[in-house]
Amino acid sequence: MDFHKDILRIDCKSEVKRICSFIQQQVRALRREGILIGLSGGVDSAVSAAICVKALGKDKVFGLILPEKESNPVSSEYATKQAKELDIETETIDITPTLEAFGTYQKRDKVIREVFPEYNDGYKSKITLPADLLSRDAYNFFTLRIDDGKGNIKSARLGKKTLNGIVAATDSKHRTRMMHLYYYAEMKKYLVCGTTNKTEIIQGFFVKYGDGGVDIEPLGHLYKTQVYQLAEYIGVINEIMERAPSPDTFSFQVSDEEFYFRIPYATLDLLLYAWEYNIPLKRVCETMNLTEEQVKRVTRDFAAKYNATKHLRQLPPTLE
Amino acid sequence: MQSRMNVEQEIRHYIVEDILFGDGQKLQKETSFQEHGIIDSVGFLDLITFIEGKYGISIKDDEIVPQNFDSLQKITRFVKWKLNEKSTP
Repeated sequence: MDFHKDILRIDCKSEVKRICSFIQQQVRALRREGILIGLSGGVDSAVSAAICVKALGKDKVFGLILPEKESNPVSSEYATKQAKELDIETETIDITPTLEAFGTYQKRDKVIREVFPEYNDGYKSKITLPADLLSRDAYNFFTLRIDDGKGNIKSARLGKKTLNGIVAATDSKHRTRMMHLYYYAEMKKYLVCGTTNKTEIIQGFFVKYGDGGVDIEPLGHLYKTQVYQLAEYIGVINEIMERAPSPDTFSFQVSDEEFYFRIPYATLDLLLYAWEYNIPLKRVCETMNLTEEQVKRVTRDFAAKYNATKHLRQLPPTLE
Repeated sequence: MQSRMNVEQEIRHYIVEDILFGDGQKLQKETSFQEHGIIDSVGFLDLITFIEGKYGISIKDDEIVPQNFDSLQKITRFVKWKLNEKSTP
């Protein structure tokens, strides 16, 4: 198996054509009248929407923009701008009332206050994994970081109970979006388009029945860096191209790297490829100018995340 | 001072009963947790909470590394070291 720094370069023109055919086939097979997509203001949904327009035409693509009070305000702005560029119909629904009714913020804040009793509405919070996996080894323990709104930051390592409490509440944001997507999709007899890429699928960076709850995943075979190649080819707006990928579910802004991956996408994707195709260690080290220890460390992290998230990629088991 | 054997047995018992749901067949003293996928990240959080509570020690973030936690043997050695550090005036 070949391995070099450009191994993930794709022929964008033929790739877009291939994905268009896939979308057309799926819409036909499922007998839907169009496709609906949640526009987050990020690169994956921007690329997906653009390809859907190429596949079906702008009149059969509907975009839903679903911000909540803790979303980065630019997310809706960029999503709207991208949709205008594509000339597709959109609707923006603030999901904050739904989340408040469910108790998302209240449930999460109660857990945070078990760690930091002073935490209140003026604070921001996020959770992160240890930084820079290439420089130092560390297990995937999460740290809660809070900002009092005046730049005073506190952090504490989370135990299982607090981590689970925060994650469960945060995941309800994705699941609420899924509920809105399917409401509109069923109303319009449209198919729900997913926006999860291969990097995220392999590493379990999505929420089951949240952003993973969709009808098709047109980007599911592409690494994140390949999605960026398509974005450039298609002409996704600069604001989206230039922003750091983020889950955008925490009030205290956090990047994908800080929250979950621990290494930059460019390195991550190449190493994921090497892991997936069992590229000999020496070859990987030579190509990427990394030590054997660094590559082994990252590979162990891949395996740990892959194994810990297997259930996300499976349908519920049944008896035969 | 707790003996090494006690520490090892107590931690082994905790891992088998609370993390592995009673299935401790694969768990030998030197078995690498990472290589064999024995404990996931949430399991580690549990284990660290257990160790801190059980032995009254505080584990720093930069100590949560495979060098200290990748096998029963390594954990035992680390906990003994922390207990020694704690008891040294």
